[in-house]
Amino acid sequence: MSQTVSRPAPPTGRAASRPGRRRRVGRQGLVGWLFVSPAVVLLGLFMLLPVLMAAWVSLLDWNGQSNPFTGGKAEFIGLENYRDLLVDDGLDRTLFTTSLRNNAYYVLLFVPLVTILSLSLALIVNQRLIKARSLFRTVFYFPSVTSTIAVSTVFLFLFQGSGTVNRLLSWIGITGPNWFADSRGVLWVLLGALGIVDPDHPSGLLADHGFLGLSWFEWLSGPSVAMCTMILLATWTTSGQFMVIFLAALQDIPRELEEAAALDGVNRRQLLRHVILPALRPVLFLVLTLALIGSWQVFDMVYVMGQGAPGNTTLTPAFLSYQSGFKDADFGQGAAIAFILFAIILICTGVQRWLLRERSGRSAR
Amino acid sequence: MKHYSTTRRTTRQIALVGAATLLAAAACSSGFDDGETEQEESSGPQELNVLIASSGDAETAAVRAAVEAYQEESGNTVNLDVAQDMNQQLSQSFAGGNPPDVFYVDSSQFANYAQGGSLYPYGAEIEDIDDFSPALLQSFTTEGELYCLPKDTSALGLAVNDTLWEQAGLTEDDYPGTWEELADVAGQLTGDGVTGLVTSSEYQRIGAFMTEAGGWITNADQTEVTADSPENVEGLQFVQGMLDDGVMAFTTDVDAGWGGEAFGKGDAAMTVEGGWLAGAMAADYPDVEYTVLPMPEGPAGPGTLAYTNCWGVAQDSAHRAAAVDLVRFLTQGDQQIAMGEAFGAIPSRLSAAEEYLAAHPEEAAWGVTGDWVQGPVTAAGFDRVLGQFNTDLESLRTADVSEILADLQTNAEAALEENQ
Amino acid sequence: MSSATKKRARTTPEAPVLPRFGVPWRVIGYVVVIGMAMLYLLPFAIQLATSFKTGPDAAANPLTLWPTTPTTAAYERLFGLSDSASSVPFLRWLGNSTVVTVVVTCSRVLFDSMAGYALARLDFVGRRLLFVLLLSIMAVPGVVLLIPKFLVLNTFGMFDTYAGMIVPLLVDAAGIFIMKQFFESVPREVEEAARIDGAGTFRIFWSIVLPMARPALITLTVLSFQGSWNEFTHYLVSTQSSEYETLTTGLARLVSGGLGSGTLYPLKLAAAALSTIPVAILFFCFQRYFVRGTNSGSIKE
Repeated sequence: MSQTVSRPAPPTGRAASRPGRRRRVGRQGLVGWLFVSPAVVLLGLFMLLPVLMAAWVSLLDWNGQSNPFTGGKAEFIGLENYRDLLVDDGLDRTLFTTSLRNNAYYVLLFVPLVTILSLSLALIVNQRLIKARSLFRTVFYFPSVTSTIAVSTVFLFLFQGSGTVNRLLSWIGITGPNWFADSRGVLWVLLGALGIVDPDHPSGLLADHGFLGLSWFEWLSGPSVAMCTMILLATWTTSGQFMVIFLAALQDIPRELEEAAALDGVNRRQLLRHVILPALRPVLFLVLTLALIGSWQVFDMVYVMGQGAPGNTTLTPAFLSYQSGFKDADFGQGAAIAFILFAIILICTGVQRWLLRERSGRSAR
Repeated sequence: MKHYSTTRRTTRQIALVGAATLLAAAACSSGFDDGETEQEESSGPQELNVLIASSGDAETAAVRAAVEAYQEESGNTVNLDVAQDMNQQLSQSFAGGNPPDVFYVDSSQFANYAQGGSLYPYGAEIEDIDDFSPALLQSFTTEGELYCLPKDTSALGLAVNDTLWEQAGLTEDDYPGTWEELADVAGQLTGDGVTGLVTSSEYQRIGAFMTEAGGWITNADQTEVTADSPENVEGLQFVQGMLDDGVMAFTTDVDAGWGGEAFGKGDAAMTVEGGWLAGAMAADYPDVEYTVLPMPEGPAGPGTLAYTNCWGVAQDSAHRAAAVDLVRFLTQGDQQIAMGEAFGAIPSRLSAAEEYLAAHPEEAAWGVTGDWVQGPVTAAGFDRVLGQFNTDLESLRTADVSEILADLQTNAEAALEENQ
Repeated sequence: MSSATKKRARTTPEAPVLPRFGVPWRVIGYVVVIGMAMLYLLPFAIQLATSFKTGPDAAANPLTLWPTTPTTAAYERLFGLSDSASSVPFLRWLGNSTVVTVVVTCSRVLFDSMAGYALARLDFVGRRLLFVLLLSIMAVPGVVLLIPKFLVLNTFGMFDTYAGMIVPLLVDAAGIFIMKQFFESVPREVEEAARIDGAGTFRIFWSIVLPMARPALITLTVLSFQGSWNEFTHYLVSTQSSEYETLTTGLARLVSGGLGSGTLYPLKLAAAALSTIPVAILFFCFQRYFVRGTNSGSIKE
């Protein structure tokens, strides 16, 4: 990763090369900065500066109708926006915890689903037996290069109440739900189908007690049917991309390794378990990380497929941040949500990096 | 990464870069408006930007025609833009400091914009203000100042599909006047892929039943929240009963975007909509025959909801005089009648409304007035609260009505307190 | 295992390591794979079919792959050929998307490779710091920047302008990273030779290094094109007027909004299909480079 590795090292130590280096720096320094200056200016202005400005705005009560940087009508309220979201009981916190719950379920379902699916697709497409391999690869890969907006439109059509999917389900005698209008949690729907609970009328301990403004019943109900549709869509569009990553790693596995294993007389399952999967481990972690980060950023889909409806069950923190700012004109709170989301993503990545380091560190170093 | 030795220096450098960029930003933050009014252009032909939230092709075409007539007359240029998502686009443009010059303002948003200083109060510049409905003017007045002129109005009525009505063996005598009769005919109309009554689940529609039961979300002058009153419970429970019996459905249940679509496609025999239904039906479903009835009476007598928009002029506009001039033109009696003809909007001028309703007795239900006609909640900060109420209403069929209303009560009280 | 298979495995690298499955397994395998492929293809097929249907036909027969009464009404309306009062301003969307995408792609190819080259090869003060900053910027998730970006554009008076849509996208950190990785893999000798011949840095970059970077440049081009063509959130927060709507923002607003828009599925699906075509063409011609881009993006972790 460090650029010093690939560069041929100077023959002598740092101190010895200093005069020469300085001359080179003098000559190249200006050109170097010239070369990076467009990138530095643009990234500084549109990546770095925004974060700083938003940090300031997240401490204000700003309704978007004045200039928050020259005083104006935006009142400095310290951490009030954060407190409304995390501590004080009220609508703000309820909406925020709802969005966190929704997104947590999204992560729980999407990450394993997409990893398993893309790995399976990669293993299938990588089979040297299969004819027309590249054709299949193209087919599985294509959805991931299309725009989310366009494919969300298609899914809206497919999953209408009397749409394609329900028509298909009716062939096998299943009455499909009205996907995008169904706010019931799938867990309760499944338990309800078994007659264990009544999903429509929550009662008892779970419904009467709660945490952070949501009842336990709401916390535990699982993603709504509508959210599941979005998880399906995300899996469908992302699996091809991850499949390609897995494929590259599969093709990097030395053939000698497989042949040696084959000589030892292993069967297919043993080969997968003892040769292929261990070799894929770093890539597996990479895919998990990408999937995890991606799933906290769900926005486009939510915008097209319901904007939180039905029953706020497709509300995600990313969309709530947008909505608080641009629709409810509470930019301070929107910015605060964005920062909390940022923290969540950083923590998730950090935890995964740490896990990754533990595992690969032992084998590599 | 192996940058341990440089980490510290790096952090310091990052901090420096950060501080410098922040300073730079503060120094050149020119895009925001600092509350000073912008320089006004007052001479010569001017260019006005108009943003509307259209109910459909019919309304867009009618406004475009009116605007073109104004261009002819005044020599000014008008760019008409149709918002897909009015509230978002408008609040984004206010924050961005480049709002359109003239735009629709929904009465529910009015207080937010007026208090935020985004609206130019031009009420005092209008000469024949007495001709406008006082109730509507009241919706756009805050702290004694009239900010903008009501564009038009419409109450909710019960629209009935004539063909389906006859097919069910019903006659004009069966037009429902009470809740019981409504539930009864809805039952008779339901079946064979048709649902008796279909409306969207928002409070902006089924709230009518709350007023018929004698309740509403706030008291008359919006100083007190009355959401958890027994009247409101009764109104929503009536709707819940109809949903439960399968004689009523929400638009999402029948794959429709709004009541008019379900109604036009024949999936619904009845729907609750306002005058904009006329324009949409004429444009999209010209063959469907229908009749508009007043909303049936509830236990507390008649009740319905009325909606209105006003023509807002931006405080930041550089063409405010021309903008007010355009509004004057668009709110003339004959312009309002033309709009009514095109898409069913009831004129906000008393004289024009009278003339229009005399010519269109079939739209009388949309033009009702009286103190039993409830205007929308206009208190500032209620947006999100009512949005949450609408979210809760989506699951009205199975939900606990008093719980929904109790949540509304809590949230609304908090909003009221915060904005006082 | 027979010795014959072993021998074959040695001679042709494409031959399987383990023996082929038996015939029944192979049949089942193919059925499963083809079934999966159908799942990935059918949505697009239904999308295309539905875009040629009438509204009622689409609602009544959402599954058929052939319209009962084929019509191009949706496409006519998109291209403004029918005289509907408010035809969808599809051509404007298309124009905006094209302009923005072309400018952004060209600029990214130039600026990203310049910065990538400097970071890989030129020696200047603060290079290491810049690289650390670059890595941290790549870690900032896009959706976190929705409100922040709006604030900045607003401050610079660029909100709701083409400049606001384009300028922030002109450079992307991931692209710089890809180019840096590539330039590091190029042997230094070539440049040294040119330098001895007296060529300046810019000349070396322009006429020696860049031509060698063709595969990386194509990768960057297809990624930039795809990225800015499919970009949604940035356009959403940087504009408000409908004159700046692109295919993504226009379609998203058409699909999600509007009381009067109803559920015009043939129209929406036709618009979605048309907006997919350019990326689809690019994908089928340059799939190799998409694969390379996906994988080089993954090295960054």
